[in-house]
Amino acid sequence: MKRLARKYALITGGSQGLGRQLAITFVKEGAAGLCIVARRSEFLDEVRNTLVEINPDVKVITVSADLSRQEDIERVVAITLHDFKGRLDILVNNASTIGPSPMPYLLDYPLEDFRYVINTNLVAPFLLIKKLLPAMIENGGSIINVTSDAGAIGYPGWGAYGISKFGIEGMSQTWAAELEGSGIRVNYVDPGNMNTALHRAAEPDEDPRQWADPSEITNVFVYLASDESKDVNGKRFKAQEDTHHESDNSVKQPELAPKL
Amino acid sequence: MSTITSLHSPFSFTLPAELVAKEPPEHRGIARDAVRLMVIDRSDYRIDHTLFYNIEKFLVPGDLMVFNTSRTLPASLVGYGKSGGPLVEVRLAEHLPDNSWLALLRCQQAVDPFSCGIHKGMQIKFDLGLVATVYEMYEPIKRLWKINFSKSGTELLELLYRIGQPIRYEYVSKPWDLDYYQTVYANDPGSAEMPSAGRPFTWKLLFHLKRIGIKMANISLHTSLSSYMDSALDQKHIASEEEFFVSSTTAEQINKTHGLGRRVIAVGTTVVRTLETAAADKKGNVKAGHGYTRLHITANHKLKTVDGLLTGLHEPEASHLDLLSAFLPAGRIHEAYKTAIQRKYLWHEFGDMNLIL
Repeated sequence: MKRLARKYALITGGSQGLGRQLAITFVKEGAAGLCIVARRSEFLDEVRNTLVEINPDVKVITVSADLSRQEDIERVVAITLHDFKGRLDILVNNASTIGPSPMPYLLDYPLEDFRYVINTNLVAPFLLIKKLLPAMIENGGSIINVTSDAGAIGYPGWGAYGISKFGIEGMSQTWAAELEGSGIRVNYVDPGNMNTALHRAAEPDEDPRQWADPSEITNVFVYLASDESKDVNGKRFKAQEDTHHESDNSVKQPELAPKL
Repeated sequence: MSTITSLHSPFSFTLPAELVAKEPPEHRGIARDAVRLMVIDRSDYRIDHTLFYNIEKFLVPGDLMVFNTSRTLPASLVGYGKSGGPLVEVRLAEHLPDNSWLALLRCQQAVDPFSCGIHKGMQIKFDLGLVATVYEMYEPIKRLWKINFSKSGTELLELLYRIGQPIRYEYVSKPWDLDYYQTVYANDPGSAEMPSAGRPFTWKLLFHLKRIGIKMANISLHTSLSSYMDSALDQKHIASEEEFFVSSTTAEQINKTHGLGRRVIAVGTTVVRTLETAAADKKGNVKAGHGYTRLHITANHKLKTVDGLLTGLHEPEASHLDLLSAFLPAGRIHEAYKTAIQRKYLWHEFGDMNLIL
């Protein structure tokens, strides 16, 4: 039997990059239903067609939403619960925004941009978990939050994005502790450097060919989404290292910020 | 706000205006599970007063609490009659099996909110291209109309969430967001109004109750409107058709609980109506299923499926009070409500709670 047979999943940021690749991989692994959420509706039809081409029987929901807006989150939740008849097995909080590009120093960060990044990258996963919990509590489920090494150490210039990922890591640990024993597990994955639109925007001067393709790093996500990890809770994973073991949280030291 | 009095109901009492909860408890400086709880013992009519988070003191391991997990819709939409017609608020009451909806249509700019020329065949236009066509008046409740939308299913749901607002009554202090009209465990969307008896539960409390051996099961009943904005009609307590679901897992849990001689406690009057509709026999067993109910429970109704009820405090004319009389003699309810008023309990969806066991 396929690893995600009969599972229903919601993936945010699912129209491009890692999210799109996870949707494809989840369908290949037998998922019964996928809800793909993305801000830009023009990409959603393409993802839907791709998924249905892989498995014509898969139930695909696409929702265009700006996750920085609470009312959009309620709409995403309602449509998912309605179309999946109140059941969800997997939630992947993948959607992230990098904020302004090129990324300003925190010292120069516009407040509105800061709020937008925190709302999208941190508040939205909090609300999605909270509102989708009722659909997972009966059968158990897996919540996978996407983090970054910028969520473990403060790199200069990674401003609100890094802070939001620090938040995601702390929030994942707290959710995991509060949900221990409930059948719902919460883990978080640092996918490492990937050749995605987000990463290219963050580091426009770097050669993206040195970074991994999203298709190369999905195994840890399938593992966490599947019942193979049903006893794993509150752990941090690095997708580009040993995929079945939690990371030791070790991160490289950044260069010191220059004194002004 | 004026006081609310009923002279016709056996539960006639005056509800002082200051006892209406205008804000969610979170905006009165307390957690949602810190509202007050009045507990009435069905065996000796003893009344206890405590805070909601102490509910475990009145439960025993093996009790089964049954929750209504229906999610509240943004069921109030404002549109225009086509060709410069009147501004109309459409309050969705119920989604019917033929895919039409029952709705209360309220004119926004007329002296009489129900007299602005609403008629069969009229079209009401909303934002984002949504159109409703008035099909016919709903004969059992003449304040309601059957309407058909130009969209259905997920497409309609998507639009409701983009243009709708929760149904709010005039007693609330501000237009609270939809989020305030949800229970923490709300799942499938479909209720016109929040099944509010479950509102005080927090996840922390639910997990705690589960840990100490309280069993839990879910049903779904998509609630209709609690008021047709017509006091004469409201006092007749005519229920529209409400859609419900009882899963086989829930039916098994209830039947097993009865078999063990334990109590089934309904969280809300909607749960009582669902389970009594789904009753399979006189022993209190229920059968799984999906259907519609118009069941109106009164003192003459012999309860088969439930032993206890957690509910809010209800207005004098509310049909919920009739339902309470299936659990307790009317005089006892009246007495308890007098006590609740003396102790300044708060009424309505953001208010205090009443447990009858």
